Amino acid sequence: MSGVEAGLPGMDDAVRTAFRRLLLSLADSKRILGIRYSDWLLGAPSIEAGIAASSMAQDEWGHARLLYASLKDFGDDPVALEHDRQAAEYASMEALDAPFDDWARVIAGAVVVDGALAVALRAVAEGGYEPIEGRISKMLGEEAFHRSLAEAWFRRLAGSEEGARRLKGAVEEWLAPTLRVLAPDDEGHRVLAAAGLTLPAAELRARLAERVSPLLELLSVEMPEPLGLDDWDEGRGRGPGHPAEEAVERARGDLNRALFVE
Amino acid sequence: MVELTTRSPGGVTLPVVEAPRPEDALPKRVTSHASGGRDLWSDPMEEAPGDPEASVIELLHEVLDPELPISLVDLGLIYGVEFDEGRVRVDLTFTATACPCMEFIREDVKDRLTRERWVEAVEIREVWNPPWTRERITRRGREQLRTMGVGV
Repeated sequence: MSGVEAGLPGMDDAVRTAFRRLLLSLADSKRILGIRYSDWLLGAPSIEAGIAASSMAQDEWGHARLLYASLKDFGDDPVALEHDRQAAEYASMEALDAPFDDWARVIAGAVVVDGALAVALRAVAEGGYEPIEGRISKMLGEEAFHRSLAEAWFRRLAGSEEGARRLKGAVEEWLAPTLRVLAPDDEGHRVLAAAGLTLPAAELRARLAERVSPLLELLSVEMPEPLGLDDWDEGRGRGPGHPAEEAVERARGDLNRALFVE
Repeated sequence: MVELTTRSPGGVTLPVVEAPRPEDALPKRVTSHASGGRDLWSDPMEEAPGDPEASVIELLHEVLDPELPISLVDLGLIYGVEFDEGRVRVDLTFTATACPCMEFIREDVKDRLTRERWVEAVEIREVWNPPWTRERITRRGREQLRTMGVGV
């Protein structure tokens, strides 16, 4: 059975547009997050930490691949999505626009960004859209390892003054924009939630809060309100800007274009 | 269609997405590898089998996972097999979404099956529903892993 038979034809245009936006946002975020993790394969605080970053990078690209492929049912060409888009077209989360400067940012990103992506994916899986349910449950199984690693490191870093200071800087910068992407107060998200394909914004925010609050407490940080929609790019489902060109060149595989093999 | 496992209704397969190949790209198959237990593969069958789907599964018992020396069938990766006038379709999954051996596994399955004169074409469908877990490893697979000191 193809995904098209599984439900898209009956889908209202507005729902379909919003669902495509969500899946592309998840795919692009995972694509760029993989690059940000991969920067720390070497040079992490320990060899084991670097290997974990490398495994997480690999998982993120595996998830991105499956999500891009699922967009075929929406009329997209997954190859073009992966290899032919400009940076300004990427819908990845703002927190991923620049590289993670240090290990504290890797861990804050794993907690806030990877955590928000897991919350969003779980909500989609619960929505019961058959063509991707199985894929998402496989992804969430892999994400469980990211979570336990990230939370253990977060607690460890939060125990030192310098670690806590750096974590705090990152989470305070990223929480509000990430909350907005996860659960925007816009029409697209409302129709998608009304169709049961994700959860209402307030519920998604509550789920992320439940997940990260015990960690934020260690830093005396509270969950912020999400950003408003003044500078919201409704088409991409994120704020202005885009991931740095260098990351997109790697995501597209520009330098290896002539070397692609079967 | 031979189903090796109970699939939830509406199990969905995923198209294989290949990277774009410019005109001047490297030739296909620039690498070769010796995994998949190739040295243990049996000779092609003399005659076309009466039950081709059962035979395909037997042949896939000869194809080993590139990392763990047990068969793809015993590892629980094969979800179903269909045979229709020389064309074989194999539904399979991978242990991880970014399994580093995806290409090797696809290549091994195709190479083993197309050794047979009665197999004209092999189509591999990637399936993720239900997701693979260690519970899918067969009893025989577990025993083989145990004798190699791998606990499951």
